[in-house]
Amino acid sequence: MSHKILVVDDDNALREMVGIVLESEGFSVAFHDAGAGALERFNAESPDLVLLDVMLPGKTGIEVCREIRAVSGTPIIMLTAKTESDDVVLGLEAGADDYVVKPFDPGVLTARIRARLRPLAGASAEGTVKIGPLTLDIEGHEVRRGAEKISLTPLEFSLLLALAQKPNLVFSRAMLLEKVWGYRHNDDTRLVNVHVQRLRSKIEDDPDNPKIVTTVRGVGYKAGQG
Amino acid sequence: MRFRGVASWAISLFRRYLQVRAVFSTVVISGIALAIVGGFLSYSIGGGLFSTRQAQVLAESERAVVEVQNTFSASSVSNEVALQSLMNTIVPSIESTGTTNSRRVALLRSPGQATGQILQSPISADLDPTVIPTALRSKVRASAGNLIYQSIALRVAGAEHPGIVVGAPVQIPLAGSYELYLVFDLNSEQQTLDFVQRTLVFGGLILLLMIGAISFFVTDWLVRPVRLAAEVSEQLAEGALDRRLPERGEDIIAILARSFNKMAQSLQSQITQLASLSKMQQRFVSDVSHELRTPLTTIKLAGDMIFAGRETLSPPVKRSAELMHDQIERFEALLNDLLEISRYDAGAVIADLEMQDLNGVVGMAIAGIEPLAMSKGSEILIEIPQGPVDAEMDSRRIERLLRNLLANAIEHGEGKPIRVAVGVSESAVAVTVTDEGVGMTRAEVDRVFDRFWRADPARKRTTGGTGLGLAISLEDTHLHDGWLQVWAKPNEGASFRLTLPRRKGMVFTQSPLPLPPKKAKKKGDA
Repeated sequence: MSHKILVVDDDNALREMVGIVLESEGFSVAFHDAGAGALERFNAESPDLVLLDVMLPGKTGIEVCREIRAVSGTPIIMLTAKTESDDVVLGLEAGADDYVVKPFDPGVLTARIRARLRPLAGASAEGTVKIGPLTLDIEGHEVRRGAEKISLTPLEFSLLLALAQKPNLVFSRAMLLEKVWGYRHNDDTRLVNVHVQRLRSKIEDDPDNPKIVTTVRGVGYKAGQG
Repeated sequence: MRFRGVASWAISLFRRYLQVRAVFSTVVISGIALAIVGGFLSYSIGGGLFSTRQAQVLAESERAVVEVQNTFSASSVSNEVALQSLMNTIVPSIESTGTTNSRRVALLRSPGQATGQILQSPISADLDPTVIPTALRSKVRASAGNLIYQSIALRVAGAEHPGIVVGAPVQIPLAGSYELYLVFDLNSEQQTLDFVQRTLVFGGLILLLMIGAISFFVTDWLVRPVRLAAEVSEQLAEGALDRRLPERGEDIIAILARSFNKMAQSLQSQITQLASLSKMQQRFVSDVSHELRTPLTTIKLAGDMIFAGRETLSPPVKRSAELMHDQIERFEALLNDLLEISRYDAGAVIADLEMQDLNGVVGMAIAGIEPLAMSKGSEILIEIPQGPVDAEMDSRRIERLLRNLLANAIEHGEGKPIRVAVGVSESAVAVTVTDEGVGMTRAEVDRVFDRFWRADPARKRTTGGTGLGLAISLEDTHLHDGWLQVWAKPNEGASFRLTLPRRKGMVFTQSPLPLPPKKAKKKGDA
């Protein structure tokens, strides 16, 4: 079964070209050309992954990202023309899982897409993992605090699981990038930082004073205190 | 050295303040003028007083001498006792005592007469006859009855008073030649003169003080607008372009203020115009770079698709696909560099400083450039100190910078070895990248950091640099408050030295590594 990818971009040539690249890699592709109506399109197509341009007419990609995230945990990869502006951070904070910077290689694009569509890291294990007050059901992709179910995106679940499976082991940002995002040779720590923040806002009682995912200054993150 | 401190403070005050100089000069010149006038006044008053008194003294003396001579001539004393008593009445009759305006009298016998002296010479009680100069006495003896006088100093009650001695010869019957001396004390004239002089000095000082104060206020009044203008132009120079001088009245100062303000106004409008132009241009470069990215992405994706399928194409089309593929990458690099430099121009770059081991960063840069070095046959020789070389840096930028220096060295190194050295001191870390290739002339070295500048336009470009690499490297270095320096000699090679402070804000005056670098060690030495 081929994965379906929704490409939201207002540039006709780029949209078609990305479609050609993805189809040649065996994906099935759906298109949308504006920010307005992107959510309806998403709901109608229910794709496995969304490629979302940041600069869109009508509604920015960041708003679209927030709308999709409100209803679904489907992986979203932003396409951005800027690397140092706030676009990247804004997109990630709005819930995007990853981003690629224009102009990108077809190889890079498909590698990122595959990394997001891959079965979760460590998800081959069975049973449950406990971390603090949380219980992770690996097969069901569920996190519970007691009886209360916490809704995480697959990426957030994957990040929490990676940390929780080796409690008290300190993960550097580069390690997490490789394990969760499938990156090598990428030192963009913003990706990790923003997602840890998002994760904390969902699982911690007090996100400013985290107890489950803690920061080890100058090194990285780990699950648990102490 | 308190005194020296005060003196240097005074000198600096004098140098710095126009007003201090003006007041000082006015006071000094007025002081000299007052001293001349006062001196002249004092001299002529003194002279006047003295000559009046002298005339009076001479008249009195004349009378006294005539009186004494008449007394003796008219007397009919027959014996020495009577003569003595007559002589004794002479002194009290003409002397006048007291501490001021006193007149002392001495009737002295001329020496060198045939008969011996029998009679006592009557002398005023408080007169010391030695004050009468012997020169005067001989003149008196030689005179034919005229009055002879001379100024002398008198000691009265421990103080020295000016005085005049007047002498005349007197013939005394039975006793022979005598000399009558009248000693006048001029102390009261001296006191008058002293008083006049004191008054002059005191008045002069008050006048000087007033002149000083007046010149202070006048110069202050004149200098204040000038000082204000100086302050305002200083502020203008520091960038406060909206500062202006107050314009009041119609005088020369108001004209100065008006033209100054006009100048500031045109300066401000030109600077704002230039700044907005330059901002527009930076914005344009940045926008263009961004706008090019979307079509470039499409071209790149399409190019890669064609490149991936090149084996199915006819040879000319296949070669075209390869060329296109390479040039798209070059185009992308150029675009990235343009965007980077436009970020620097817009001042939008912030360093992401972290403690890093420079050795590690150098290692990463070398690892990244190794394939290029291999393809050009350049060996990279490394000389790094033991242990970590920690410094605060934006490692992504420094690695890019070093990679760029290495790429340059490989391109111009003609396949000869490239040496990389790392050095460290208390306050700084340094890297040198040295090649032994074509080198550069002095004029070329001066332009090496210019944008899009090429050492030799005719040279074949092989590594496809963008021409912005060193310009960006220099900006990266400035971002770290470091130095990027170059040494080169034609046909001997070139060496770039990067020096960075170990911590942000650390001041260093010397790089830990020399430039030009030490002569290459022979292979095997290391």
